[in-house]
Amino acid sequence: MKLQVKLALYNTLTKLAIIVFTGLLILFSLENITYNHITARLKDKKDELMKHLSSKEITQILNQQQSFTDYNILKEEYIFLKPILYRSSRQTEESFTTARRTIEQTTDTYLILTYKFNFNNRSYLLEIGDTMDAVIQLKQTIKEFTLLMLFVALSLTLVIDLVFTKYLLTPFYQIIDRKLIRVNDPMNFDYKKVTTTTQDFELLDSSISTLMKKIADLFILEKQFIANVSHELLTPISIISSRLENVLLQEKLTEDSENKIFASLKTLNRLKSIINSLLLISKVENLQFNKNDTIDLKNIIAEVYSELEDRLEDKGIVFSNTMGHAYHFQGNNSLIHTLLFNLINNAIKYNTKGGSIVIADALYSEQYILEISDTGIGMDNEQIELAFNRFEKLNRHEKESYGLGLAIVKSITAFHSIRININSVKDKGTTVKLIFSKESI
Amino acid sequence: MNVLIVEDEKGLALEMDEFLSHEGFTIEHARTKKTAGEKIFVNNYDFILLDLGLPDGDGFELLKALKNLKDRNDAVIILTARGAVDDRIMGLEQGADDYLAKPFSLNELLARIHAITRRKHKLESNEIAVKDFRINIQNRTVHYREERINLTKKEFEIFNYLVLNKNRVISRINLTEHVWGDVLEINSDSNFVDVHVKNLRKKLSQFTPVDWFETVRSIGYRVNI
Repeated sequence: MKLQVKLALYNTLTKLAIIVFTGLLILFSLENITYNHITARLKDKKDELMKHLSSKEITQILNQQQSFTDYNILKEEYIFLKPILYRSSRQTEESFTTARRTIEQTTDTYLILTYKFNFNNRSYLLEIGDTMDAVIQLKQTIKEFTLLMLFVALSLTLVIDLVFTKYLLTPFYQIIDRKLIRVNDPMNFDYKKVTTTTQDFELLDSSISTLMKKIADLFILEKQFIANVSHELLTPISIISSRLENVLLQEKLTEDSENKIFASLKTLNRLKSIINSLLLISKVENLQFNKNDTIDLKNIIAEVYSELEDRLEDKGIVFSNTMGHAYHFQGNNSLIHTLLFNLINNAIKYNTKGGSIVIADALYSEQYILEISDTGIGMDNEQIELAFNRFEKLNRHEKESYGLGLAIVKSITAFHSIRININSVKDKGTTVKLIFSKESI
Repeated sequence: MNVLIVEDEKGLALEMDEFLSHEGFTIEHARTKKTAGEKIFVNNYDFILLDLGLPDGDGFELLKALKNLKDRNDAVIILTARGAVDDRIMGLEQGADDYLAKPFSLNELLARIHAITRRKHKLESNEIAVKDFRINIQNRTVHYREERINLTKKEFEIFNYLVLNKNRVISRINLTEHVWGDVLEINSDSNFVDVHVKNLRKKLSQFTPVDWFETVRSIGYRVNI
């Protein structure tokens, strides 16, 4: 759940709790207050009645008793007197109850004071009732009002909270989006500050920027280091290799020394290859290539094929190109050439004698996919993960591999925003998918 | 033919000197842009081997200065460790005749020099005779007496390169690099070139035994003529 929604929900819930609590409190105290109030009134009435009590009045009341008679028109109160069995020892007792009584065909809930007393050697039971309806009605009204308030306040605060937290958190989401999600390379980091008045977000923003700057600096340093070292190494290699070539010109060399010198030249060549590969990767990563060529994949594959034709023949590999779409995009021709060369060369190198290589493609509305499948030795999942690392040699017996081929592939595809996907089954073959998304190019 | 080597790395300059002298070239040296500029201004050279990264400036400026001089026909081969594609294009656009990235093989340098010589001065005939075979560099064909031998592009390149560097062992790597360029520097198989040599030799030996086309065990090949 998003922070914004969480905050809004939290606010709503606390408000809900407060309103429910106050509502309950009001209801409860209202009931108590009215109850106390009514009992006090009933007591007063009883006291007054008792004070002026006379035989005549009792008779009068008892006569009227045939039907419950009201003291007032609204039937809010009634008085009821009834002779009961005389007991001289009877103590006056008084109690309150809530009960329903029917007075003149109207049934209502009353709070009733029941009073038993002796008067002139007779016992009587006196009931004075006061209707509770008003109270119940009030309670109902308050209940409804509280509910309505609750609902209105809740929806209002929920909306306001959502809007406000959205406003409040906008910089936060901007930071997350611009500085974290959309950054897949510290070199393309957006250092522009996100406008916010919230201190914490400012801190977050600047911390991420500082961190990213450190990473980017390290990146640049690493790349420069590789470029410089590689470059500085090439001149000495050049000197040694020329010197060895000159030594070979001497006629009095024994065969053994000649072999050793050629072996040294071979080693030097290997060193040169590694350095040139590293330089290539570093240049691609440093964006030192332009992307101004219109790439014709079919054409490049034909070129690569003609370069590798003899190797295919030598290994008896059947090469079939089933490409059916003419897909063009802007890129660097020589890099794409290197990319496809490396991939197809790998497909040959790791293929079995008499195997096959199939180039296929598919065009979708959003993307174009180029597939290079071989029937070679394949890789397991662990090997696929490692394959793109520099100097990772999957086949340790492969003497001529420096483990840089796929690292180069990786940097070229990243440079052109091409996604690369490897599917491989051990001993069955490998399929490399190049996914060109139309948007990115 | 006289060659000016503009190279600040003394070691490399001396090796090139030794190799090219051996091939019969007359060599002069310049280690800075300043001395090179003076020498170029005073003398005509058949070849100027130009390093781009000189201690006191960029070799490109020398190239520009040379191209501004009138009636000069000096061929320029740029030698550089920069190796950037842009450098290569810029160098050729500014009138350099060829471009070699360091480290390069001296055999390769020699092959380039020969190629430029033929192209530029048309001094030599376009045909080279090898025993009873004739290589026509212009048309890129090989004939045995009057009969044309059908060679692939790569087989021709290999044959031509070996003949150009005759009587010298050419390693497989050197040969591979010459024929395929830098593409194969990654994951190159050392026996890559063997298939082609095998086919080439088969095609040649259909006409006459080619025992002068020698395989030097575990190293490479040599054409003895």
